[in-house]
Amino acid sequence: MSDDRTRRQVLKSAVAAGGAAGLAACLDTQGGETVDRPTGTDDLSALPERQFAWGEVVRHDEHGNEQLPRHQILLYLTLERDGRPTETDRTQVERAFASLNRAFEWSHEGVVWSVAYSPSYFDRYDEPLPESVDCPPPQSLSPFEQPTFDEQDLLVHLASDHAAAVLAAEETLRGNRDSANGVTFDASLDGVATVATETDRRTGFVGTGMPAERQSGLDGIPDGEPVPETSPLFMGFKAGFAQNQATENRVAIESGPFAGGTTKHVARLRQRLDDWYDEHDFDERVAEMFSPKHAERGWVDDSGENLGDGSRVEETLDDIRERATEAGRVGHAQKAARANRDADGNIRLLRRHFESTDNDVASLHFPSLQREMSEFETVRRAMNGVDFTEETPVIRQRVNNGILEYIFVTNRGNWLVPPLSKRALPRPR
Amino acid sequence: MNRRTLLQAGGTLGAAALAGCSGLVTTEPAGNPPVIDDRPSAVYFPTHVEGMELIDIGTSGDYQFGLFYSYPHRFWNVGGAETTRTGIDPDDDIHLMASVWDGETGQVLPETGASLTVRRDGDLVFNEVIYPMLSQRMGTHYGANAGLAGDGSYEVTVSVGGMATRRTGGFEGRFGEPASTTITFDYARSAREELPRRLTPDRAGERAAVEPMEMEAVPIGVAPDRDVLPGVRGSGTSGDAEFLVGTLDAPPAGIDGSGTYLYVSPRTPSNQMTLPAMGIDATTGSFDGELTRTLDPELGYHYGAVVDSGDAVTITPTVPPQTARHEGYETAFLTFDPLEVTL
Repeated sequence: MSDDRTRRQVLKSAVAAGGAAGLAACLDTQGGETVDRPTGTDDLSALPERQFAWGEVVRHDEHGNEQLPRHQILLYLTLERDGRPTETDRTQVERAFASLNRAFEWSHEGVVWSVAYSPSYFDRYDEPLPESVDCPPPQSLSPFEQPTFDEQDLLVHLASDHAAAVLAAEETLRGNRDSANGVTFDASLDGVATVATETDRRTGFVGTGMPAERQSGLDGIPDGEPVPETSPLFMGFKAGFAQNQATENRVAIESGPFAGGTTKHVARLRQRLDDWYDEHDFDERVAEMFSPKHAERGWVDDSGENLGDGSRVEETLDDIRERATEAGRVGHAQKAARANRDADGNIRLLRRHFESTDNDVASLHFPSLQREMSEFETVRRAMNGVDFTEETPVIRQRVNNGILEYIFVTNRGNWLVPPLSKRALPRPR
Repeated sequence: MNRRTLLQAGGTLGAAALAGCSGLVTTEPAGNPPVIDDRPSAVYFPTHVEGMELIDIGTSGDYQFGLFYSYPHRFWNVGGAETTRTGIDPDDDIHLMASVWDGETGQVLPETGASLTVRRDGDLVFNEVIYPMLSQRMGTHYGANAGLAGDGSYEVTVSVGGMATRRTGGFEGRFGEPASTTITFDYARSAREELPRRLTPDRAGERAAVEPMEMEAVPIGVAPDRDVLPGVRGSGTSGDAEFLVGTLDAPPAGIDGSGTYLYVSPRTPSNQMTLPAMGIDATTGSFDGELTRTLDPELGYHYGAVVDSGDAVTITPTVPPQTARHEGYETAFLTFDPLEVTL
């Protein structure tokens, strides 16, 4: 095996495996003892107040589409203490987070990250979240799903183009190591917040070729390696076109104590792509992912690189109903797009999803940022397409109805991402 | 759940044989005979008949679930008026079927949407949205061929979604929520091989149907008898389906409007299985429009609308039943001529 191939083989599983062994495997492949990434800053004022301000510091493709960091980890943490956190807890947590900022440059070359808090975390306090924050507990968002609700206290989301960087950040934050990237941490989260169960550590990746590299033998992907090399996602198409994404301004909370924050919904979906690849041809997949019109007019080549910075779903909305009845199917992206613009025509959701092979099952982690959680719920309900099932019996609850047949929502969680200045165990006011 | 409860729940349904497979004799479990060439464009007797076994019954929310298995089947998916044959994959071990019904009335629920998750020792073995299917022995159910991981104990979770179909009368406000139940399935290939299976070369292709199954406490998707339906005005045949047409002086509770309620109850010939998920238009008096798919305790699954009734009604099926078909139904109920019934 070539060095490059060996390296890729190791990286395929190292982040999912995690721990000291995962990190050591990554470091071995780069032939060093340290992570060797650019270090960060101890001047928090040099960092954006918006923890989700990743757009400026990640890669973009030639069309200006945001390219999310290739390796990502979600840590669902539970506070050790019942009731309200203490000032001591708060200080320890802030020192740990500030250490992470010192250890890694705020970019895809270092680590971009955020911490968010659940409505059940805020239930520890007597007073409720202010009116300016719309972040209720998670709920079921389709007539057929029965997800597990993620109601842990904190969600730390780490992302980097370098597997060793996210792993070292995680290990040090959790107190399993003293330093990361050559920088000694002043504190860790250990003793205050922990990953309580194995399923509270979730990992993933996104980027052209990464799903194809990981598809062989993966549960949910049929034999024959159908996922194209050109695709950043298991379903074979690009997503997150710039013109179809909200700006960071649009998703920011504008007033109140959490101004500069946002709400974050994170779903986990299991993907079952046997029939997607084995029973559908390319045009049928295009019709179900984008719209029947995309398929008829040949708008999508390969993984959709030719679409540039926009998915063209807006061009399918005027006659969506007639087309759906004629074609006997309706597209996923077009259904959701019906509800994804506000009265001023601005896109409401900033979707930052990535793939996963956790437990050797093809899955998708679906974080979506929006100013108000109800905006996410509205778009998701539009995606259910119940109105089309009433229009024609050909479109059914989950059949011929976008991609609903192939995705199974297993988890949903709602989170408030506070501004950086309130990121350590915030009070609701 | 307790089978005694079930018996009471499904008590209207003529219980007979015990464990499932009535009147079938074991013969050779060899390969399936080919689909016959000169099938009529109508219901026909299939080339072979296979027994099935009830694995268990579960209950959750408004729903009762029966889980069954048989040999893997070939079947035909329906999309619009097109059928696509799904063959048996070499990896398929069984045909898994779920039946979903209302425990209170025994009404089989044809449009819940359903999925199956099969696990062994916690590991995922199978997880798919399964399609509504129509078979001569069961009527509407949900099914798929599935590959398993050898003999052993499996946990099968049957999940349904909340119905979008209009519900009226005592069904108003029910069946709107998703539900699931998990049933243990001890699978052995040798046990599967003991399921009855009979080749039927003498009758294959005949314009007839296999007798419906009779299984204790498990209702099947039979439409209400003509005798018990209120206000029956007449019936007609189209696409080999029988369309029973009736009127009520007022619509069932839950439907806005007043005046004559026209309903159409389509069913298969011989076995009288309900034909769900169709598009049906009607023209009568000043009414000219689509009938709404509706589930009602008295009328069963039907298609109806409040109309300004004339002397006759023209019924035009526009979309064939969007259910996959087991052998013997795949050439029927696909194309229809309009039919007229005097009111």
